[in-house]
Order: sequence, then structure tokens, then C-alpha cells
Amino acid sequence: MFIKNYFLKLFLLIFSIIFISSNVFSKTTVVWWAEANADRDPVFQAKLADVFNASQNEIELVMEFKEGLNDVLRTAMVAGEGPDIVETPGPSYVKEYQEAGMLQSMQGYSDQYGWKDLLLPWSYNAGVFDGEFYSAPKTYETMVMLYNKTLFEEKGWSIPTNLPEYEALAAEIKAAGMNVFSYGSTGWQPTHEHLAGMYLNSVAGPDNFYKALIGEKKWNDPEFVSAVELLRKHMVDEGYWSGSLENYYALGWDDFHAQFGNRGAAMMTIGTWTFGATVSTFADKSDDWDWAPFPNLTAEGGDPSYLLALGTTLSINGSSENPDAAAKVMDFIFSNKAIVLDMANDFNFGEFVVPLKFSASDFGDNVNPKVKRYLIEFAEETGKGNYGYTTWTFFPADPGVHIWKDMEVVWAGDISVEDYMYDHEKLWEKARKKNQLLPVGKR
Amino acid sequence: MKFFLSKSFIAWYFILPAFVIHLLVVATPSVLSLALCLTDWNGFGKINYVGFENFIELFDDRYFKKAVKHNIIWTVIFLTVPISLALTCAYLLTGIKKGQLIYRLVFFFPYMLASIISCQIWKYIVHPLHGIVAWFSKKGFDIDPVSPFTMKETSLYAVAFVDGWHFWGFLVVIYITGMYQVDNSLYEAADIEGATKFQKFRYITLPMIRPIFIFTLMIIIIWSIPTFDYPWILTQGGPAYSSEVLATNLYSHAFERFNVGYSSAIGTLMFLYVIIIVGIFGILRKLGWEI
Repeated sequence: MFIKNYFLKLFLLIFSIIFISSNVFSKTTVVWWAEANADRDPVFQAKLADVFNASQNEIELVMEFKEGLNDVLRTAMVAGEGPDIVETPGPSYVKEYQEAGMLQSMQGYSDQYGWKDLLLPWSYNAGVFDGEFYSAPKTYETMVMLYNKTLFEEKGWSIPTNLPEYEALAAEIKAAGMNVFSYGSTGWQPTHEHLAGMYLNSVAGPDNFYKALIGEKKWNDPEFVSAVELLRKHMVDEGYWSGSLENYYALGWDDFHAQFGNRGAAMMTIGTWTFGATVSTFADKSDDWDWAPFPNLTAEGGDPSYLLALGTTLSINGSSENPDAAAKVMDFIFSNKAIVLDMANDFNFGEFVVPLKFSASDFGDNVNPKVKRYLIEFAEETGKGNYGYTTWTFFPADPGVHIWKDMEVVWAGDISVEDYMYDHEKLWEKARKKNQLLPVGKR
Repeated sequence: MKFFLSKSFIAWYFILPAFVIHLLVVATPSVLSLALCLTDWNGFGKINYVGFENFIELFDDRYFKKAVKHNIIWTVIFLTVPISLALTCAYLLTGIKKGQLIYRLVFFFPYMLASIISCQIWKYIVHPLHGIVAWFSKKGFDIDPVSPFTMKETSLYAVAFVDGWHFWGFLVVIYITGMYQVDNSLYEAADIEGATKFQKFRYITLPMIRPIFIFTLMIIIIWSIPTFDYPWILTQGGPAYSSEVLATNLYSHAFERFNVGYSSAIGTLMFLYVIIIVGIFGILRKLGWEI
């Protein structure tokens, strides 16, 4: 009897342990590695991970913030490890991971949850590789021209709409003893590609840019050569950015924001990721700022284009054991505009601006009106087809590095613009041959 | 059995754990990464054998050649400027009786700073808006506040200056240590003979510290090749590749352009260079050179 009871108790104990520790009671853990940032991390944790975990009982989202995420992630992925949700800095990284078979197709999840209808079409298309959806956009951005609104009103200056007006305004600003634009590349050498992208689109035109992306035009065609030549002239000969090429190389993020805020420069060419910093810069100033799209730099002008750019992307690791749960996390983000807007607003829409189809009614009164105007105008104008392309979203790795790294060689006068663009075209040919081109939605 | 327990063999047992760890953690990954030089691996996916294609491309790459040239200039600078400064200062310091430790500390201090700190200090010093030159310029002096890190003519030398500023104190300490080991009676004999300070340095100090001196030459020649932190932090090899060195070139190919096979070819050549240098010193030692 004693033995019987003993075995019965033992059996019940083991059964209970197995039952309690089974999936019925435990949550599925989804790990997401994100780039570490002291300001950003607590917001992600509190407004995304904690909110998601509190919203249901099946999945536990664990956000891990890594220094130098790209390198850590690549090492882990090559070893067949890494997080369930893979965060990359852009489509060129996605392409490499996808080609190596390290990502899972999210086409099924996209169809199941209707992500194509939730995301802006161009941003969705940028995640389609070999006909299947592999990466979802986490944040989008564009290049804009910030200007000191108070100063412009004082001097009676207006935003230029074509090249002659642009150059005339620059001359007036210089005559007033200021730099035309505040900007610099120290600390982030690829800053040059911001300017290269703006000039290539606004001089050669987004249609030509698109044709070059899909191989219907060559990058050393005269339109592109003229664009880079104009940039060289404005950068080197005219010193539009921070007064001289040398100063442009020497100034970093804090320097050029301070220069812009202190009337050292009248304008600043930069991406929308700066909205948060610009609001802070002008917080204690009597001057006010505003933004405008970068003008069309042709003699006749025309509608300015908003350059399409993805900041970071989200994918599902090919070796993830919980892809369904990872997809649920992503769907939670894409289906909750309020959460996205709340988080993005914390960074003045410089971070976590998921390209959802926002409308004016989505924004609360707490959103900065300038930023709100940008988000609405961006959606409207790009919807009308007034959009261009950024190099970091649509260029394969090798030409993507060449466009900014070797631009310095042009500016140094060590190579002609023609030779530079010829070299650039060669890299594109090589990338095409190696099937390294990134997805571009039909224009 | 007796052989395996012999004194000379037992020493191998003691180094075995360290040897195994080294083999697993350092040697094997190094050999594997060298093997990548014959592939077109992008750091992510499939590895394809391409033979010597990377090397052929490398010898046609103008920026690789530029980097090689810069590394040679860098080596020459470090073999001359910090060494002569350090030798002079170390020799002068040996004559100081009071407060010598303070001088040694002052000279050695930059070496204790992390490279990122040294670089930031110098970036601020020559900053065109907030630097010292900018301050003088604002005070009415007729000087153009341009950072030497941002001019292609000066960037390499400016970076080498900052690295040299940080490094030379290390040489001072090494040379002083060597100089203290020189027998004092040699100097006393030279004094009796009426030798000048320079003659004592030339004919006593220098020959007596020769092994240390040659050692510093060797480490400078070897360390100059993988130099990375100062060029990368200060200029990232720019502007216009004017301060590009082999290590920054390698890094750019591996982590910006995803050409891991190509960067591995650069690494292989760097490795061969170091092997040759070490080999030359080894041969010279075998030939009886006191090094």
C-alpha cells in the first residue's frame, strides 16, 4: 500500500511539473535586438515592449539593446544564432541576409495580416526581394531644408524654387556674413551621400534617377555628371556648407546644430531625423525655424521631390523558432497607429516613424505642427508621384559606399566628375552582374 | 616513457593549456580568415573560391596603393620623430636628479589615455570654430582656423602627430630603463677623458642600449602596419583617402562594402609583411647581430 501510494505521489508530482512547465502555461519568447541608444531605449521598452507584453498572455517580447548592432548581429546570424526579430540599417543589409538564406519570407504573414494595405506602398515594395516580402520598414525619413524662419522674415528672403533663385539666395546670405547651410561630416563620413542624393535627384530629376536604378540609364550620363559638377561647385568653389569644404569636414552633429541655431548659417540641409534635435536647439532661442522641401535645381524649377528613405528595417531570422510570434509582434506595431505616433512623437518624429498611412485626424494636439505638416505633405506629395530616391535605401553596398567615399576625391580635385561617375557606373554594372540590386517599386 | 617525463619535455606539459587555447582562439581563426583571401565571401552567404582574383584586383586598386604608400610614410615618421625625441629626452632626464619622476609621468601620461580621448582632445584643439587657432583668429590675429585633419595635404601628418604625441612617452620610459642599466663607471672614465655630453651619448649610451633600441625599431616597423585607431577616429582615412592606411582600407572593404574576401587579401599581405620583418630580425640575430 505504502509502495503504491509512493509511486502514485511520485507520478503526480512529475506529471504536475511537466504540465506546469508546458506551453500551456509558459509564454513564447520573442527576442528583438535593437541598436543601443540611451535616449531611445527606455521609450522602446516602456511604450512598446511593456505595452505589448501587457496586451496579451501568449508572447513575451524581450528587447535587447546592443552597441554596434550591425557587427554583433552579423556574427550571430552567420553562426546560425541571433534574435527572432532582425533589425538592420536598411535594404542593402537585408539583401545580403536574404541572399544568404538567413531570413524567413514574411509573405505569408503579410498576406495574413494585410500589411501591404497598412504600409505606404513604396516602403512595402522596398522590402520585396525575389517576389517575396522579407523586410518591413521600422522608420522612414526624407531630406529637407531647414531654415531660420525669423531671419528669413527679417531679411525678406524666400524659399527658392529653382536654381537661379537658389544661387541668388546663397549669394545674399553670404553677403550678410553667414554661411548658406550648416552641415558637417565629422563623426559620420557618409553625410556626403545626403547631399549627393539631393543634387542627383533635383538636378538630373527623379525620373532619370529611377531609370539609372533599374539600368535604363547610365550613371555617367550627362544629367548625373552635371548634378555632381554642380554639387562640387557649390561645395568647393562657393563653400555653401559651413563656409568651406574643410569646415564641412570638421563639423559634427552638435556643431552644425549650434551653428544653425546661432545664426551662423541661415539654412541646414538634413534628414527629418533631426526634427527632435532642431526643436531642442531652438527651444531657448528667440528665433523660430521651419522646413521646406529641397528645391528643384534646374533653371525652370518645378515641383520639389521628397526623397524616399528607410531608416531601419525589421525581418524574421531564418533560424527563429518562433516566427509566428515574431510576426504577431510586428503586426501589433503596424496595426496600432496610436502607439507608433506616441513613440515617434517622443522623438519629434525623428525616430520610429513607421510608414503607415497617416491622415490628419491621426495626430493629436501634442504633435509639433511643423512635424505634422511634414508627415501629411510627405504622404500627399509622394502619393502624387513627387518623390525621389536616397542612395542609402536604393543603392547596393559597393556603389553605395563609392558615392560618398569617392566624392571626397572629386572635391579634392584628384579626379574629374566624369571619371568619378564612370567608376560609379562600373560598380553598378558589377552589382547588376552579381544580382545585388535592391528592390525599387515601379515609378 | 622516460623520454616523456624528461625535464625538457615536461615544460611542454605546462604550456599545453595555453597552447591549446591559443590554437583554438587565435591560430585557427587567423588561418581560416587568411584562407578567405582566395574567396569572394561577402561576410554573409556562400563562399566561392576565386583563386588569386582578389590579389590581381588589389594590385590594380589605386587606393590600396595609396594606403601602402601612407603606411610607408607612417613607418618612416615613427622611426624618426618619436625615436629621436624620446632618445633625447630620456638622455636628458637621466641627468635630472630632482623631480625626475614627475617628468617621466608627464611624458608617459598621453600613453595612458585611451585613443578616443587623445583624438577628441586634438580635434577640439584644432577645431575651426572652438579651437585654439579659432580663438586667436577671433582675437584679431590674421590666421585661418582650418583643422589640419580636414586638408588632404596635412591630414596624414596631423594624424601621425597625434599618434606620435601619444606614443613617444612610452619610448622615453623604455629608453630610460635601458639607460639606467648602463654601467656608471663608463661615464666616469669618459669624463676623465674629457668627453662631451654628445660623445658620451654617441659612444657609450647608444651602443649600450642597442638591444632595446633595435627592439623599439622592430616594434615600430611591425606596429605601423596595422595602425587603425588614430586614422579611423580622426579622419576615417579621409579626406579623399589622404590619410587612408592599410587597416582603414581593409575595414572599409570588410564592413562597409561587404567585400570580406578582398579585405582578407589585404590582411594576408599585411601578415606576410610582418612575417618578413620578424624573419629578417631573426636572421640578423642568427648572424650574430646584438639585437
